[in-house]
Amino acid sequence: MLEMHNISKVYRTDMIETHALREFSLQVAAGEFVAVSGPSGSGKTTFLNVAGLLETFDGGTYRLDGQDVSGLSDNARARIRNEKIGFVFQSFNLIADLDIFDNVDVPLRYRRMKADERKARITNSLELVGLTSRMRHLPSQLSGGQQQRAAIARAIAGDPALILADEPTGNLDSLMARQIMGLLEKINSMGTTVVLVTHDPELARRAQRNIHVIDGLVADTVAPSDPAARGPHGQTHAESAVD
Amino acid sequence: MIGYYLRLALRSFRRAPGLTALMVSAIAIGIAACIVTLTVYHGMANNPIWWKNGELYAVTVNPSTPNRTREAGLPAYGPGQLAYDDATYLFGSSIPKRKALLTFLFGSISGAPDQTRPLPTMTRATTAGFFRMFAVPFRYGGPWSKAADRGPEPVMVLSGRENHKLFGGADSVGRTLLWSGHRFRVVGVLAPWHPLPRFYDLSAGNGGAFARPAGAFIPFQWGPVLGDWPAGDLSCDTHGSSTTPTTYQELLGSSCTWIGLWVELPTPAAQRHFLAFMQAYAANQRAAGRFQAVNTHLWTVSQWLTLHHVVSHRSGLLVNLAFALLAVCLINTLGILLAKFLRGAPVAGVRRALGASRRQIFAQHLVEAGAVSLAGAVLGLALSAAGLAGVRLMYRGSSAAYGKFAHFDAIGLAWAVALAFVSTIVAGLYPAWRIGRRAPATYLKSQ
Amino acid sequence: MALTSHPLLSALRRNPTGAVLIALQIGITLAILVNAAAIVTRAIQKMSRPSGVDTRDTFVMTMVGLSKNFNVYSTSSADLAYLRHLPGVAAASIVFGTPLTDNGSDTSVGRSPGSRGPTVTSALLPVDQQGLRTLDVALIAGRNFRGSEIRVPSAAHPDPRIGEVIVTQALAHALFAHQSALGQTIYVGSHTPSTIIGITRNFMGPQLGQHAYDTVLAPEIVTQYDMYDLLVRTRPGQRAAVFRAAKRHIGTADPNAVIGQAVTFAHAKRLLYSGLRDLAIFLSFLTLVMLALCCLGIFGLGTFNVATRTRQIGIRRALGARRRDIVALFLAENALVVAIGAIFGCLLALAIGQWLTDHDGVARLDPWYLLVGVAILALTSQLAAWQPARRAARIPPSVATRTI
Repeated sequence: MLEMHNISKVYRTDMIETHALREFSLQVAAGEFVAVSGPSGSGKTTFLNVAGLLETFDGGTYRLDGQDVSGLSDNARARIRNEKIGFVFQSFNLIADLDIFDNVDVPLRYRRMKADERKARITNSLELVGLTSRMRHLPSQLSGGQQQRAAIARAIAGDPALILADEPTGNLDSLMARQIMGLLEKINSMGTTVVLVTHDPELARRAQRNIHVIDGLVADTVAPSDPAARGPHGQTHAESAVD
Repeated sequence: MIGYYLRLALRSFRRAPGLTALMVSAIAIGIAACIVTLTVYHGMANNPIWWKNGELYAVTVNPSTPNRTREAGLPAYGPGQLAYDDATYLFGSSIPKRKALLTFLFGSISGAPDQTRPLPTMTRATTAGFFRMFAVPFRYGGPWSKAADRGPEPVMVLSGRENHKLFGGADSVGRTLLWSGHRFRVVGVLAPWHPLPRFYDLSAGNGGAFARPAGAFIPFQWGPVLGDWPAGDLSCDTHGSSTTPTTYQELLGSSCTWIGLWVELPTPAAQRHFLAFMQAYAANQRAAGRFQAVNTHLWTVSQWLTLHHVVSHRSGLLVNLAFALLAVCLINTLGILLAKFLRGAPVAGVRRALGASRRQIFAQHLVEAGAVSLAGAVLGLALSAAGLAGVRLMYRGSSAAYGKFAHFDAIGLAWAVALAFVSTIVAGLYPAWRIGRRAPATYLKSQ
Repeated sequence: MALTSHPLLSALRRNPTGAVLIALQIGITLAILVNAAAIVTRAIQKMSRPSGVDTRDTFVMTMVGLSKNFNVYSTSSADLAYLRHLPGVAAASIVFGTPLTDNGSDTSVGRSPGSRGPTVTSALLPVDQQGLRTLDVALIAGRNFRGSEIRVPSAAHPDPRIGEVIVTQALAHALFAHQSALGQTIYVGSHTPSTIIGITRNFMGPQLGQHAYDTVLAPEIVTQYDMYDLLVRTRPGQRAAVFRAAKRHIGTADPNAVIGQAVTFAHAKRLLYSGLRDLAIFLSFLTLVMLALCCLGIFGLGTFNVATRTRQIGIRRALGARRRDIVALFLAENALVVAIGAIFGCLLALAIGQWLTDHDGVARLDPWYLLVGVAILALTSQLAAWQPARRAARIPPSVATRTI
């Protein structure tokens, strides 16, 4: 699904060069649930930006879903983001003056879908996250957990192959956090690859594989401590949390 | 996608109604100022017979280089009109396709049924070519014949206005009227005709560029035959040895200028030919001692208008000012749009993450800017209609030119559309471009 | 102090385009304001030039003969007799030309015959003995024409000679500078000499423009053109009634003549300055609109800036900035932008002024206008920035701790 080989990324200002990623290599198979963890400033976010084609990288190769994405035009990158990637952010990043329905609608709009298909997909994904009754609410009228569920609905509405989640529970209390994790696991169980970026080792442990990043390098890969305790797609605690 | 962008623009306006109103009204005021001043300016700068601009020529002959005061605008080119001898000689040429002599006579018309008092009428004494050459429209009848010029025959063409006063607008062709006591037969009645500016006669003493055409037209030679003094501009060179003429016979023999001469020369060959003819004449006159200089000119209608300063510097000044005002309005809008778009940058970042390309973000914001400009243009059109009505009201019943042109027209509409387009480009392009260039990742992480 | 100087520049550095745009607006507005003010002031000065004649109570009727039976001398004498007996008429006279308009003759006047030596272009106003009285123009030297001096040239006895003339003070000065013009000989439009017997106060004759005050009065009743002008001055406040009665009677008195034109001096003066007046009105209007828009722009952008910087201002307040420090910060920011705009505006104003001087012959821009313009703009823009600044000052310090 996601193959990175020796990716490097340097931020330059007038005075300093920061090597955010150095020979960063990572492979994520289709259907996997991978956590990328590490301390603040380790390069997690840079990795996510590069993986999500939000930023370009300086060296190495990156194949997403079998396609080499280096040197693509802005248009092509936008298209890949739109069709193959769904983002879930720590601060939800819902558009404040669009209601939930219209927020979920945004990626579909850029795919130029017909109105009835858009409507069907929006209703489906809102159903999945349990927000059908709130589709005409504005983000500000929802709780944090509901907002993040709306954001997840938006991420999956376009049926992406990959979900990139950046500290999705960082702004939520623990109950809400569990709910969101359950939701991500449920999505993963339906075949979508999920990459979760977090600094919280607790959360990271719930993934099938935990990749530890320090100073822009992959430090080590930790397999789940007890594979038997989890199902093939890691959905042990998921169902109860969603409802 | 445009529909989607428009919906987003509408939301954006609703979020900041005050700023939106400010931008829209700024553009509206700028556009309205431009349209009002341009409409009046274009009316004045109008060439009412543009389609014949390369064919119609005013003729000037400068017999010396005197410092004439009446033609203050034409110092190097001599008088705008000709002396009798020169005018009639040049008129005799067979080179032009059509030609006309023009002067003004003051007459009174009587003899119409139910008429109690004579009707004082500014009368254009001219030749048969006048009507076809200047594309004068007829309601009844038509121009008199060339033969009638030579006689001259007692024939007359009435303007529609005078025909209405005298005959209630009925077909008066064939009727006989008394013009200053002499019997004339009506051969034609004009349809409404009021070219602005009155390009063929711009002299101030004849009423200026925006005066109404004459009420009646009679063959030119009636002036000399009746000894009727010209009622329009008459300029005499008092520097020379001649004295001011006191009798009509003296006037005809003098170098005083009071006759306009227009020729229609459809081909470059004819123009060259006629110019050579004029130069030969002037050279001949100089040899005979009548002229001190050979200085002859042909002027196209647009040159003639320029030469007479029909478009005043003042109205040009106001047009420039209106455009400066529009510039300020656009800079204003540009600043507000930029601030507004940059404030919305995080949202644009989210959209980019969700799959919008740079181009789509650019398009979305350009549509928003375009909607502001379009709304401004629509409001601007309403404002200009009001402004033009205001100008008309200000000049109601006045002879000043401004009021005559203060009518909303297709040109004003075209300008509004063009200015709205320019506004979008000027005020919207840069902010939309800036917002499209922002790297999306910047806004996604923190708030 | 640290609070007001350093963040000032940083705020401008953060959104330099916005500041540049405001400065640009201010600059253009200043440049237009200054030049418009100069043009309008000059227009007002020109419009308030004294006409030198009684514009309230005077009118002119131009009579035009319609046939060979028309006799200028007899008809005009009858008209004058009627007018002078009409109650309300102070004086009436036959002239040829209408003061305050372009209807009249002009001529060249010089101190030597023909075109030898310098000449002055002057209006020529033939008048009868009552002319000066009707115009209400006083002599400052010499005497009026005598009855015997008024000539009536006819076709049979053309007499182009003008023996005695009266000139305006302005013309006398143009011809003789500081010498006394009285009794001097001048040449009016021909080779024959005339003697200056009187000098009048300045008044606007039948010639417009630069030389409106240059007029030669000649003792003559012009008959050869089958037309003449009746000049009538009424007693104060009676013009309307006399004007109506005169039009009614004189318009029908002689079947061979009609009134070609009847115009009051008040109307002529209005027409004379209508172009200037309109220019002044439109210029003032557009300039004020521009100034208002500029201020609205500053106000709008200021309000917007306050909204975007709410948190930052809250933090400042939490760190101990007083309300007035916040107001001062915003006003100082605005003042800096205005200063940049004013420098640009002054340069632009001078450039436009130069262009106007080159193209329209407008007098050079007086630097005083720049100074006043900058003051006006600085004041109004600070006023426009004040409201948003106060709004910023009202932001509570607690905003700093609130999450959005």
